[in-house]
Order: sequence, then C-alpha cells, then structure tokens
Amino acid sequence: MSNRRSRQSSNATRISDDQMIDLVSKLRQFLPEIRERRRSDKVSASKVLQETCNYIRKLHREVDNLSDRLSLLLDSVDEDSQEAAVIRNLLM
Amino acid sequence: MNTYDMVKQEFIKKWITTLHMCDSSVEQPMNVTERKNAIRLSSDIAMAATRSGATIWSRALISRTGKNKATCKPVAHRILKKARNRMKKRCTTITRNGGAKMRVRKRTELLKSLVPGGELIDNKDYLIRETLDYIVYLRAQVDVMRTVAALDSVTNK
Repeated sequence: MSNRRSRQSSNATRISDDQMIDLVSKLRQFLPEIRERRRSDKVSASKVLQETCNYIRKLHREVDNLSDRLSLLLDSVDEDSQEAAVIRNLLM
Repeated sequence: MNTYDMVKQEFIKKWITTLHMCDSSVEQPMNVTERKNAIRLSSDIAMAATRSGATIWSRALISRTGKNKATCKPVAHRILKKARNRMKKRCTTITRNGGAKMRVRKRTELLKSLVPGGELIDNKDYLIRETLDYIVYLRAQVDVMRTVAALDSVTNK
C-alpha cells in the first residue's frame, strides 16, 4: 500500500455522501457493528470503510482457521470418501 | 430456496470438484500442511468459480491462485482461459488519487488490497459493488466450510 501524499486537487476522489448512505444501508445486514446514526446525512465514510475491511479480514481468518480444522479432520480429500458422500447428501 | 442457498449449493458442487482435482494432482499421502493448502486453495478456486468470470474479484482470485500454486493449476487454467480476455478488456490502470480526506483514501487503499483485483479498480462505485459481491461469496464459503467442519467432527471415527 503506498502512502503517497500528492497534492492533486480532489476530482471525484471522495465517495459522495449519497454513495456512502447507499453503501451503509446495504452493508447493514452484514455489519452489525454499524450503529444507527442519529444524523444519517453525515455518514462517516472512513468508519464504514474501516468496518468493511475489518469484516473482510475476519472472514479471511475464518476461512484460514477452517482450512486448518478441515485438514486435521479429513483423512483425505478424496471425492469418493465416505465423508464426501455424507456431506453431499446432507448439504445438497 | 433463496439465492444465498443456491450460492452455497453451487459452491459445494464446485468445491468437491476442485478438491478432487487438487487431491489427484499431489502425491499421496499428504502431510497436514499440504492438505491444508489443498483445502484452502480448492475452496478459494471453488468460490471464484461459483461466481465464474462475472466479477473482477473472482477473476483476480483465480489468476492469483493459478500463478502461485503448483497444485490445482489445471483447474485454475481452465477457468482462467475463459476469463483472461474479458479481464484484459475491463481492467483499468491505477490512477494516482490525491485525496482531500487522507483517512478515507488510506482505508480505500486497504479495502482494495483485501478484495481480489481491487487494486485494479479506480472507480469508487465499482469498488463498492465488487466489495458487496465479494462479501456475499466469502460468507457462503465460510458458512459451507463451517458446516463441513461440524459435520466431519461428528462423522469421523
């Protein structure tokens, strides 16, 4: 990630408030941490971005942990194994 | 059955296929680390394949996994071949944004680094759309893997 501090003028570099409100309402179902804002016209763009990043990182960690767990539990990743058949029947 | 359930179903089908392919392309028996990598890799490819070539994140994820890993390469190449031309047309170069609000800018950069292919997107609308889409499929991946892990600890002798 670069932290370049160029002094260009901000041509459409901000997310507009309308876009942020739209994003927040869509993300609200995924991000329980975002509380109802009293002044909904002043949505903090950086806060929403931060929550989104935290959430994605959390999901990445979960996938990694689950991969760990599954590698210990599964004897093999053989498609024909009994586990695969059970999983297929129960989940499909 | 709602859309999300359909996503999970499609993911399961793809994952079983990619698991099998990863499994057959690596020497047996695998040690725990190799198995974990195979599971993780096959899961990521399956997630991206479920979305197929319709989003930047899914194509970037396939491209990324196809480049770095020896296992599952044929799977990745097969899906990537279809998406490769579309990806070249759609990607734009990174523009140097000088933001008035440094925090928004920094966190946008962070978000771009977390969403596969995000660094290629310079349009904020597009980034938000890709992010929301990616989150849905990530959740599906987590939900399915969690269910499999729970099942497997029950069925395993």
